[in-house]
Amino acid sequence: MIKITNLEKFYRTEEVETIALNKLSMHVNTGEFVAIMGPSGCGKSTLLNILGMLDDPDEGSYVFNEIEVAHFNERKRADLRKHNIGFVFQSFNLIDELTVFENVELPLIYTGVPTAERVKRVEEVLDKMQIMHRRNHYPQQLSGGQQQRVAIARAVVNKPKLILADEPTGNLDSSNGNDVMELLTDLNEQGTTIIMVTHSEHDARYSHRIIRLLDGQTVMENIMV
Amino acid sequence: MFKNYIKTAYRSLYKNKGFTAINILGLALGLATCLLIVFYVVDELSYDRYNTKASRIFRVNEDLKLGENNVQYAVAMPPLAKTLKAEYPYVEDAVRLKNAGSFHVKKGDANIIESKMVYADASIFNVFTLLMISGSSSSALVEPNSVVINETIAKKYFKNTNAIGKIMTFNNNWNLKVTGIIHDVPKQSHFNYDFFISMSTVPDSKSNEWLRSDYSTYVLLKEAKDHTKLAASFPAFLQKFSGAQMQSELGQSIAQFEKGGSHFRLNLTALTDIHLNSNLSGELGPNSTTQYVYIFSAIALFILLIACVNFMNLSTARSSNRAKEVGVRKVMGSSRKHLIFQFLAESILITFVATVIAIVAAVILLPFFNQLSGKEIVLTVDSLKWLVPSLLAIVLVIGSLAGSYPAFFLSAFQPIDVLKGKLSAGFKGGGLRSFLVVFQFFVSILLIIGTLVIYNQLNFIQTKNLGYNRSQVLVVKNLGELNQQTNVFKQALAELPGVKETTMTGFLPTNGWRNTRIYFKDATYDQKKSLFPQSWQVDADYIPTMDMKMAQGRNFSKDMQTDSSAVIINEAAAKFLGFADPINKTVYQSLGGDRKGTTPNVKECHIVGVVKDFHFNSLREKIDPIVLTYGQNPGALAIRVSTSNITGLMGQIKDKWNSLSPGIQIDYSFMDQDFDASYRSEQRIGRIFVIFTALAIIIACLGLFGLAAYAAEQRTKEIGIRKVLGADVSVIVAMLSKDFIKLVCIAIVTASPFAWFVMNKWLQDFAYRVTIHWWVIAAAGVGALLIAFVTISFQSIKAALANPVKSLRSE
Ligand SMILES: Nc1ncnc2c1ncn2[C@@H]1O[C@H](COP(=O)(O)OP(=O)(O)O)[C@@H](O)[C@H]1O
Ligand SMILES: [Mg+2]
Repeated sequence: MIKITNLEKFYRTEEVETIALNKLSMHVNTGEFVAIMGPSGCGKSTLLNILGMLDDPDEGSYVFNEIEVAHFNERKRADLRKHNIGFVFQSFNLIDELTVFENVELPLIYTGVPTAERVKRVEEVLDKMQIMHRRNHYPQQLSGGQQQRVAIARAVVNKPKLILADEPTGNLDSSNGNDVMELLTDLNEQGTTIIMVTHSEHDARYSHRIIRLLDGQTVMENIMV
Repeated sequence: MFKNYIKTAYRSLYKNKGFTAINILGLALGLATCLLIVFYVVDELSYDRYNTKASRIFRVNEDLKLGENNVQYAVAMPPLAKTLKAEYPYVEDAVRLKNAGSFHVKKGDANIIESKMVYADASIFNVFTLLMISGSSSSALVEPNSVVINETIAKKYFKNTNAIGKIMTFNNNWNLKVTGIIHDVPKQSHFNYDFFISMSTVPDSKSNEWLRSDYSTYVLLKEAKDHTKLAASFPAFLQKFSGAQMQSELGQSIAQFEKGGSHFRLNLTALTDIHLNSNLSGELGPNSTTQYVYIFSAIALFILLIACVNFMNLSTARSSNRAKEVGVRKVMGSSRKHLIFQFLAESILITFVATVIAIVAAVILLPFFNQLSGKEIVLTVDSLKWLVPSLLAIVLVIGSLAGSYPAFFLSAFQPIDVLKGKLSAGFKGGGLRSFLVVFQFFVSILLIIGTLVIYNQLNFIQTKNLGYNRSQVLVVKNLGELNQQTNVFKQALAELPGVKETTMTGFLPTNGWRNTRIYFKDATYDQKKSLFPQSWQVDADYIPTMDMKMAQGRNFSKDMQTDSSAVIINEAAAKFLGFADPINKTVYQSLGGDRKGTTPNVKECHIVGVVKDFHFNSLREKIDPIVLTYGQNPGALAIRVSTSNITGLMGQIKDKWNSLSPGIQIDYSFMDQDFDASYRSEQRIGRIFVIFTALAIIIACLGLFGLAAYAAEQRTKEIGIRKVLGADVSVIVAMLSKDFIKLVCIAIVTASPFAWFVMNKWLQDFAYRVTIHWWVIAAAGVGALLIAFVTISFQSIKAALANPVKSLRSE
């Protein structure tokens, strides 16, 4: 599904140039559950953003579903993204002014799903995440675990082929964290490819494979058994 | 402590350079505009106040009603001034002025046309404060053929102000002795002359006629309050002095005259009211009206308000970002008072800087503004006396008003709430801010509609069919210089190729002579059925030259012997007279003077034609009845030309002129230019409106720009999330613009009916006017929306294009 080769990303500020990704190569197969680990600042989020087509690489190739996307323009990337990729963030990133239902509904609006279909799909997914009873609440009224469920519901409502999760349990206690990991595992078992950044060895054990980064380069890959 | 406020204020402002710049710029622009308008208004209000006795000076006006016609004159009877002074001890002095027209004044070998000339009684220098540089103010204008000139003229003709006793030659044949030199009459005077010629020079000034009015008459009272006493004594006064003449000339007493529904009265206008509140027949110059003073004052206030609103909006918006700073400061032990002072200091500092910029801008812009408004405003040390304190007051008031909201609002918060971020929710909604934005656009839309209506009306005036054709008509104004040769000149011109028609008369539709006479409808000489029309003496070439159209009957003809008593009336007169078929009907022209027996002295006239109505007054007024009589009037020569080589033709005309009148320049103008000149004040107002409207919109948009930036900043995170979830740029732009556009729409809906109402009121002043079409309102609305949208788009597109990764990274 994903194949990147010699990917490079620099950040230039006035005086320093940071190499966030340094000739990084890797691949992810359809249906895989991959964990990415590494110390803070080693480029994990940068990699995830590029994989999610939120950002473009400076050098190298990125093939997504056999299409080279490294030099796609913003519009094409956005198009590919909204139909194929769901995001889960450490800090949930829900919109405070919208209810649970409306937050989850957003991706469907942007992909032009008709209203009746939207309601059905949102209800379905809220049910599955067991937050149906909270549908009319605002994010501030929910606990962290519940908020992350909403965020996951939002990520999967469009039935993406790939879910990118950046430290999804980082802001949660261990019991809520485990729930989230169970949810992701379920999704993976139903066929969704998942790439997850994590600091927790415990969480990483839910995955099939761990890619370890250091200074923007792969240093090790462990296959889980 | 104070230094600390200023320092923190400076740093905080510096940190938010963009906002600060918008804030200061908007306020400075508003203040500068306001200052200019204030200069204008102060100038208008200061007319004639240079006179140290201003409060005791009154002009005597005549109010004449004859049948249906009521005319107010700014002039009075020849013997009035001296009689009032003799009759009433509280009338300290009186003076008459009478426009002298223009003369050619000899300078070396050349003759220069001077047109600011007036005949004045010797008492003028006692009544008005026209200071002498040299000469005796009490005796300068006693002797006939004396002239007092102003400094400018003295320097122009004699190179210095040392000209007492020198001789000036007018029109090559009239010598006047310079008996005094005065300072130039201040610009803020309702009359403005360069030459004051002694009234005793004019034999007519000694006339004892009480039934005609042609002298501007002013009285100086011992005490200002005496004016009620004087006004109350006028009826008895008139009875005493004009009763006899009335009896002999009109065959009736004043009482009978009044019983017939007519009247003949005198009233007073205070000198300081003349410029703004007097627009009578026979004013010494064009006056202004309070209307524009009010309108401009309102605009100044509006612009200042818009600028202040901006200032408040941006300050409050920005200060919500500083809630956290406030929380921290409070935790660190800052008192509420301290915080209030800090915010106020910041706000006052900005206002101060803006005011300084505004003053500099106003001074730089003053010459342009003068050109635009036709004024000659100069800033003097005197004006600084009121300007500096009022500006300081403005700085304090605006500064504290704008600063007070954030100051009291933010400083009242509990630090724990602020730090938890509870503040921002309530602050973000910004009901007050929304209201203020609506207000700004309300005013902007009002001004846009106002401008459009004014321009529509001006355009209407320019293109309206006036009943005559003013283009390609040349008017030679000083035809009288040719004396006996006028006809020779007319003949000679008629032969030039390129000259189509010529007509000789001073009575022209554009600012020519005017003359009213009484006409009776039948031989009963019943006053109630009398007509008081314009009565113009014209020749047979008049109607073709002016390109006027006949509605009925025929033009005058050189071949008809009986045409010496023929008249042509206009449609308005025909309607007034009410003849079913006016042709060949008789009307009786009152000749005034002594009566013969019991009937008034009249001339029988037969109507030979009806000319279609043509406009000879401003379009503000209805077309009055007019009677054209047949004859020769050497007041001016109007020439209809038809040539592409107008300069060549002008050369030929001048050659002819010079051969007949050596030494005196031809004085001419084009009729369409004369016409345009009579609407100059409207054009000026139109231009000023455009500029003020543009400024108001720019200032409002500056504010909107700042607010949009603020709103986008508040919502960066949300925008980021939406983009990650697949929102297009256009969706984001629409989302960000929606709220503001809604406010502008509210403004459009509320402002349109109001503007419609106000502008209709303005249009009521014109007897001939445009209607306000729906598209004017629509254009203003769409225009405002477009401008607002473009302004907001700068910010929203920028926000929508930003990389979402950046906005989401800040955790
Ligand atoms: N927008 C940016 N501008 C400058 N430097 C950045 C930016 N984003 C990330 N970096 C730098 O790139 C490196 C990798 O960052 P990141 O991918 O966020 O690390 P991680 O998620 O592994 O903690 C870090 O050194 C970070 O400082
Ligand atoms: Mg990271």
